[in-house]
Amino acid sequence: MRAYLQKYTSAAPLAVFRALFGLMLAISTVRFVALGWVQELYISPRFFFPFYGFEFVKPLGEWTYLLFAICGISALLVAIGWHYRVAAVVLFMSFTYIELMDKTTYLNHYYFVSLLCFLLMFLPAHAAFSVDARRNARLRAGQIPAWCIDALRVLVCMLYAYAGIAKLNSDWLLEALPLRIWLPAKNDVPILGPLFNHVETAYAFSWIGCIYDLSVGFLLWNRRTRPFAYASVVVFHLLTSLLFPIGMFPYVMIVTALIFFPAAFHQKIIDRVSSALKLRREHISPGGRYYFPGLALPMVQGIFVLFFVFQIIFPFRYLLYSDELFWTEEGYRFSWRVMLMEKAGYTQFTVTDATGKRQVVNNNDFLTRLQEKMMSTQPDMILQYAHILRDHYAAHGFTAPQVYVDSYVALNGRTGKPLVAPDLDLAKESESFRHKSWITPFKDEIKGL
Amino acid sequence: MKKYFALLLTVFFLGCSSGSEKPGPQPVDEGQDRSVMLKSLAERIIVPSYDQFKTKFDDMNAKSKAFTAKPDAQTLAAFRAAWADAYIAWQHVELFDFGPGEKHTIRNFFNIYPTNVAGITANYSDPASNLEVPASYATQGFPALDYLINGLGADDTAILAQYTSDRDAARRLAYVTRIITRMESLLGKVTGEWKGDYMNTFTTKTGLDIGSSTSLMVNGLVLHYERYIRSGKFGIPSGAMANGIPSPDKVEAFYAKNISKNLAQSAHKAYVDFFNGKHAVTGEAGTGLKTYLDALGAKDSSNGKLLSESINAQFTVATGKLDALKSNLYDEVKTNNQAMKDTYNEMQKAVRMLKVDMTSAMSITITYTDNDGD
Repeated sequence: MRAYLQKYTSAAPLAVFRALFGLMLAISTVRFVALGWVQELYISPRFFFPFYGFEFVKPLGEWTYLLFAICGISALLVAIGWHYRVAAVVLFMSFTYIELMDKTTYLNHYYFVSLLCFLLMFLPAHAAFSVDARRNARLRAGQIPAWCIDALRVLVCMLYAYAGIAKLNSDWLLEALPLRIWLPAKNDVPILGPLFNHVETAYAFSWIGCIYDLSVGFLLWNRRTRPFAYASVVVFHLLTSLLFPIGMFPYVMIVTALIFFPAAFHQKIIDRVSSALKLRREHISPGGRYYFPGLALPMVQGIFVLFFVFQIIFPFRYLLYSDELFWTEEGYRFSWRVMLMEKAGYTQFTVTDATGKRQVVNNNDFLTRLQEKMMSTQPDMILQYAHILRDHYAAHGFTAPQVYVDSYVALNGRTGKPLVAPDLDLAKESESFRHKSWITPFKDEIKGL
Repeated sequence: MKKYFALLLTVFFLGCSSGSEKPGPQPVDEGQDRSVMLKSLAERIIVPSYDQFKTKFDDMNAKSKAFTAKPDAQTLAAFRAAWADAYIAWQHVELFDFGPGEKHTIRNFFNIYPTNVAGITANYSDPASNLEVPASYATQGFPALDYLINGLGADDTAILAQYTSDRDAARRLAYVTRIITRMESLLGKVTGEWKGDYMNTFTTKTGLDIGSSTSLMVNGLVLHYERYIRSGKFGIPSGAMANGIPSPDKVEAFYAKNISKNLAQSAHKAYVDFFNGKHAVTGEAGTGLKTYLDALGAKDSSNGKLLSESINAQFTVATGKLDALKSNLYDEVKTNNQAMKDTYNEMQKAVRMLKVDMTSAMSITITYTDNDGD
C-alpha cells in the first residue's frame, strides 16, 4: 500500500481530462442557458422541491443566470487551468448548488459530474498543460502520484458497476422491463426500428446492457481489452443517445472514459494541441514531480478514503427500508439507478378544513408539468407538495388545512394503483429519513438487488 | 473471464453492425406500426366524422338563414331541431383536439359553456366586437346559440318577440348570423386542412416525441376525456369537483335542457368508438388505439387481462351510469345529484387508466427536458 501511494505517473492523463471535462461542462452550461431551461426550470416555477436537509438551497430569481455564468466561467477556467484551485472549488460549489435547487431535475449524471468536480478540487490537475503551470515554474510537474488518476478511474468503474448491479432484478432480466415498453416506441427509427417490435430485442438489450455495465469498467482498466471496451463505450452511449433523450450524458461518459488510456496517448494529444497553439515545449511536458504541500497530502488522502467508503456504502442504503425500492423510491437517488423504471402517475389533491371548506387542487396552478409529472410518482415529492398546499391554503382562509391525495401510479407495466391511501391526511406527516409508513404497500415483488 | 466478455461484446457489436447492413428482413409488425394506425384513424374516423358534422352544420346554417329571413314559430322550431342535431354531431368531432382542430382551437369557439349572457348582449350591441380573443369564447358557438334560441324569453312567443318587435331585434338576428358565419369559416379551415396537407403530416410523423402525431393525439384525447367529458359535463355541474357546491346552471345546453344527457352520451360514445377504432359511418371495428395497445402486449401482469379490455370494461361501467340518468341533467343535479357524482366517479377511474396505464404502456410522456429515465 505504501509503495502504491508513493508511485508516480505522468501528469498528462489528468491534465487532458481536466481540459476536456471543463470544456464539456462549459458547453453544457451554455447549452442549458441557450435552450431556455434556466427560465423554464428555475425562474418560472412558483415552487421548488429542495432536497431534505438542503432546504436553504433555492433558485435566485433572475440572479440564477449569474449562477450559471459563474458555473460556466469556472468550468472554462478549469479547462485552461487558470487559477485552477479557486476555479475548481467555485465550479464544484456552483454546479452542486444548481443541482440541489430542485429535485425535479435530478439526474444521475449531474450527480456524477458533481462528484468528479469534488475530486478535482483536491487533485493536481493543473500541474501540466495549464496556464497556471506556464506562469508558475514551481507548480509545473510532469509526474503526479498515481492514485490521483486512479481515483477518477475507480469512480468511473463504480458508476458502471453499480448501474449494472441495479439491473440484477427480475423486472430487468426476466421481464425485459422497462425496455420492452420503451423500444417499440422507437420502432420507426431507420434500419434498427423494425427490430424493436420484437420482445427478443428487449431481452437482448437488457442482458447485454447489464453485462456491459458490470464489466466495462474492468475491461477499460485492462490494457488488452481497453480498445474493445472503449469502442463499446462509444457505441453504447451513442446508441442510447439515439434512443433516449439523455442530453450531454453520453458525451460526458465518452470523454471521461479516456482517463483509462495510457500516458503516451494523452501526451500525444497534448503535443498536437500545443503545436497547433504554438506553446513552448518546456511548459507542456515538464520534468519534476508534484508534491502536495505539508499536511495537504494526508488530509487529501483521508478525504478520498472517506469519500470512497461513502460511495461504496451509500447505494445500499435502500436495504434499510422495508417495501419495494422502485415503489417507495426510498434510497433510489444517488445510487446509479438509471433507466430502470417506466413509472407514470396521476395525483389529484383535495384540501379541506374543519369548517367545511373544500378545494380540489389543479396541480398546474402550483407546479410546472415537469414538476407535476415527477411529483406524481415520488412519495417524498408528494409529501413536499402536500405541505406546499397546506401552507398555501392556511394563508388563504383555511384553518388547519387537511391535505388528501387521490393517487394512481403504474410501475413497469403493472396496472396502476394508489401510492397513498386517499383518506390519509398528508398535512400531518413529516419528512425524515425513516420509512414512510403511509405509502401504500406494493404487494408485488421485484426480486434481486 | 475478461476474454470472454471481450468476445461477448465483440459478438454483440458485430451483431449490431450486421443488423444495420441488411435492413429488417422480417416484415414490419403491422399492429405496432403507428403510420398504419394513424392512417386508419384519420381516414376511417376523423375525416368522415368531420364530414358528418359538416352536413348537420350546413343544415343548421340553412335553417338559421330561414329563421333570420323570417322569424316565426315554424322557422324557430326548424332552427332548434337542426341546432340540436348539429350539436350532437359536434360531440363526435370535439375529441379531435389535435392537428388542425388544436391549431385553430376550434373547441374554444364552438363549445365553451356556461355561455356568457352579458357578453352576448354586449356583442350584439356592438357588431365590431372582437370574437377572436379568449374573453369572447363564451359568447359564441353552440352554447350562445342555445341562449339565443331557447333562453331569450319564458316561452316561444316571448322569444320570437325578441326577434321581431323588440328594439334590438335586428341586432340579435345579425348576431345569430355572425356566430354561424364564424363557425362555418373555422370548420372550413379545419376540415380543409385535414383533407389537405395535414393528412400527410399526420400519418408520417410517426415518432412518439413531443410534436409527433401519436403523442399529440393521445395527449389531446386524454385531456378531452378528463376535462371536457368528465369535468365539463359531470364534475363541475354536480359539484363533485372544486368546492363541492352543485352548479346546475353549468350543464351543457342549459337553456334547451332536454338534450344535455344526449350530448354527453354522444360524446362518450364517440370517445369509446374512437378508442376501439370503429368506422365513423359503418361502425366496423378496425385499427386504432385498442389494436395498437394489444399489439404492444399491454396487459395487467397480475392477471394477464389486456389493458384495452380493462379500459373498455371501465367505459362500459361509466356508460351504464350515464345511461341511467334522466334526459335533463339540470334536473338531475337538482334532484338526483348523487347519480351525477357516481357517473363522475366512474369516469374518473377511466381517466386514470387512460392517463397513466395507457400512456405508460405506449411510452408517451409529456417531457420537454433531458431525462435519463429514472
